[in-house]
Amino acid sequence: MEAISDFVFDYISVRTFWRTLLFVHFVLAVALLALVTLQTVAVLMPAKQTAGNFITRVRATSAASYVTPIVFLYVPTFLLGAWVYLKYRTYVRIPMEQFGHWWTVGSFEFKEHIVTMGVALLPAYWYFWRQPLTEEYAAIRKWLAVFLAISVWYAFLVGHVANDFRGVGS
Amino acid sequence: MTQTLDIHQDVSRLGRAQAASSSAAPAAISKSGVFAITFGITFMVLYTVLEQLNWPLFTYHPAVGKLDFWMQRPRSGEGPPMYWFGWLALSGIGAVTVSFVATLLPRPWLYRATVFCCVLAALWPALLVAAAFIADRVSFDAEFLKSIWLAGALALAGAAAISFYGSAQWVQRLWVKWLWLVPVGGLAVLGYSLKSFFLR
Repeated sequence: MEAISDFVFDYISVRTFWRTLLFVHFVLAVALLALVTLQTVAVLMPAKQTAGNFITRVRATSAASYVTPIVFLYVPTFLLGAWVYLKYRTYVRIPMEQFGHWWTVGSFEFKEHIVTMGVALLPAYWYFWRQPLTEEYAAIRKWLAVFLAISVWYAFLVGHVANDFRGVGS
Repeated sequence: MTQTLDIHQDVSRLGRAQAASSSAAPAAISKSGVFAITFGITFMVLYTVLEQLNWPLFTYHPAVGKLDFWMQRPRSGEGPPMYWFGWLALSGIGAVTVSFVATLLPRPWLYRATVFCCVLAALWPALLVAAAFIADRVSFDAEFLKSIWLAGALALAGAAAISFYGSAQWVQRLWVKWLWLVPVGGLAVLGYSLKSFFLR
């Protein structure tokens, strides 16, 4: 990672590099957020007919169709977040503590834990959502989808607050 | 027409028989499924335990780009240490190893071993907290109750009893459910340990 950043620093400033990385992390997170939300809607409020308004059509989408893109977005978003986390620890968290933003620090610590749990559940999530979907494991499939959605939503909101403190555009 | 009705009744009977058999025994889970499920459960249990004990595989010092084996306290002039990567690495290695072993085990053993490990992981800290609560409130000297080994021995006995006496059907049904019990329990413990940030 350090070799990559050293090479890049020959062309762009350190600040621009980390901000670009954070922005890419944000873009991936937005895409992931959309997918987990759509899947949760399809899982919790399934509709049989595809006709109707936008919400009904979203509800009628096969929840299984979101699984592969969710897995392939969750992993790079997590890895990129882990990389940006290096900068957060020194450049953001220290001033956050100095200004006494303890709720933000604590919430961000919890974000580490919840996204880690999400990553740990990805193999099982992938396994249970493979075709053919058995009725017997419908409850655990639903739980895994909802948990991933909660983890992504939580991480997104807390990450956004931390970014507002010291990040892109702050 | 009569023949059609007969076929329909046969199909209905077959459907009922399949439904009955499926409620008795869960659908078979392949070896890759065993690996995936065990990985999820083990990783989350290990991550929670390692975080609570602060046992990372390595410590990274981002300010100076230095990596130390195991847990290193902050050193003057080296900035804050990061343990999260070390917990992830150790949990990952442990979970992959355990999951691989799980694919080799007979299923009844696997179900009971999972119950044993998860109950032990929950019972040990729970007993320790309960013992500390009691020791602080009784009138006589009950400091011995705070012993980590006493709580450990009791938790070991409790986990062994539950995993041994639990019916085969119960441990089997519970196995997949650990995928939601463990993250909920783990996050409750990890969240509680962060309370100092929210109570300042």
